[in-house]
Amino acid sequence: MIDFRNVKKFYPNGTVALDGVNLHIDDGEFVFIVGHSGAGKTTMMKLLLREETASSGAILVGDYNLSRIKNRDVPYYRRELGVVFQDFRLFPNKTVYENVAFAMQVIGTPRSMIKRRVPAILSTVNLADKMTRFPRELSGGEQQRVALARALANNPKYIIADEPTGNIDPKMSIEIMNLLMKINKLGKTVIVVTHEKNLVDYYKQRVVMLKDGKIVEDRVGGMFS
Amino acid sequence: MKKHYSTSYFLKQAFTGLWRNGVMSIASVAVLMSCLVVLGCFAALVVNINVNLDNIAELNEIMVYCEYELDDEAVEKVGKEIDSLELVKKSEHITKDQALEDLKNSSGDHSDIYDDMSGENNPLCESFKVEYAAGTEAAKVYDLESQLRSIEGVRKISSVYQTAKTIDSFKNGVMLIAVWFLVILFVVSIFVIINTIRLAVYSRRHEISVMRYVGATNRFITLPFIFEGVIIGVVAAAIAYFIEMYLYIYIEGKAADSIQIISVLPFENLAIPLAAGFLAVGIITGVIGSIVSIRKNLKS
Repeated sequence: MIDFRNVKKFYPNGTVALDGVNLHIDDGEFVFIVGHSGAGKTTMMKLLLREETASSGAILVGDYNLSRIKNRDVPYYRRELGVVFQDFRLFPNKTVYENVAFAMQVIGTPRSMIKRRVPAILSTVNLADKMTRFPRELSGGEQQRVALARALANNPKYIIADEPTGNIDPKMSIEIMNLLMKINKLGKTVIVVTHEKNLVDYYKQRVVMLKDGKIVEDRVGGMFS
Repeated sequence: MKKHYSTSYFLKQAFTGLWRNGVMSIASVAVLMSCLVVLGCFAALVVNINVNLDNIAELNEIMVYCEYELDDEAVEKVGKEIDSLELVKKSEHITKDQALEDLKNSSGDHSDIYDDMSGENNPLCESFKVEYAAGTEAAKVYDLESQLRSIEGVRKISSVYQTAKTIDSFKNGVMLIAVWFLVILFVVSIFVIINTIRLAVYSRRHEISVMRYVGATNRFITLPFIFEGVIIGVVAAAIAYFIEMYLYIYIEGKAADSIQIISVLPFENLAIPLAAGFLAVGIITGVIGSIVSIRKNLKS
């Protein structure tokens, strides 16, 4: 469960990024967060990732209250999230396998478990045959699938994708979106921040539209208008 | 879940970081090493001064020199007056012939230069070697010195205690200079290490950002940088130790050949404290540099 309760976020320069946002997302939902530049999407992401804290209001994610969470607990909170970025953020000098394994290594997963789990995750994103390749040998869509596999590595409850199709061609975009839908069907809560109208309209999922830091529309099967 | 962080992982990351910023890593090691060598030189100097001071202090003797023209009766009177002083434990009359003989004996192969000085030509004077109780307070030694000076027929006195005081003040001066010098050098070392670690953090910024998003703890992210600081400290300490060892043994040899009155401790006596000190100071400096850098550069 993700709950935004009257969340406001002001920046020191006076910008009002979020202005009293109330949003409830149940476990297992698939939600598009849409809006034009400056609408507050990025701030919402940063708050969810606990890169920023809300100026007022409360954000609850599962058992965590992000307004009260201690700094030392933030890494443990982030293990509940799987994050996918527009620019993939893969390590060019690591293979596909190593990129995915890295996410598990840094939280202290035993090597035997890494060896078992990474191939299984790569199969989920249809990259089992490219484990030994380096990112430069992959297409944009494939790189994003590696990033998705890495996001899934630690078996998070929530997948947060920030413009996941922003750097790839339309055909690959459909592939990535299909994968996100598949992951959602496996029980993960998926939040996709995007401004790609076609995709949002095509998948007919819950759409939360932001404008000037406020939610102006929240509808299941909604359209990006 | 049980954590499986291995030291080898942190060491590997640390060496990778040092390798990536080779020039800065070498600079850090060089500056810290120079600092440790200077620290070692001052420490060795102070330790040796202390040893010599102790040797001098053990002598607890004052030499009393009589006027040149004193006859035997007057010399005997001086001797009696010396013996009557409360703090005097023992006194020994050294005739001028005996003094010349001692001088000859201490000159070894060059004793022939004194051959013309015997008999009437002896330029030395009658003297007394006065011994007082070991561990006598400084104020009482001063009193004794002034009492001896005031005896009629005494030309001058020579006290090793005064020499010791002079050497002790010299040692204090050396230590004061050393402290300031070292403070400046350590600040410079820490500054260079901070910049080395800053570069390491910068070159791994993408990796660090991904680590954060997947839930790596701050400890996991920062430990490789702390290890880098430790490696810089250990390498600097090791190099400094060997430089210090060769430098010391070289100077010890030179001193043994030319300045026989000074005793220089053999390096073996200093080896373990010096190695431990270098290692401790090197590691502490490296770790402080790393922590300051991490705090400054890993916040965002």
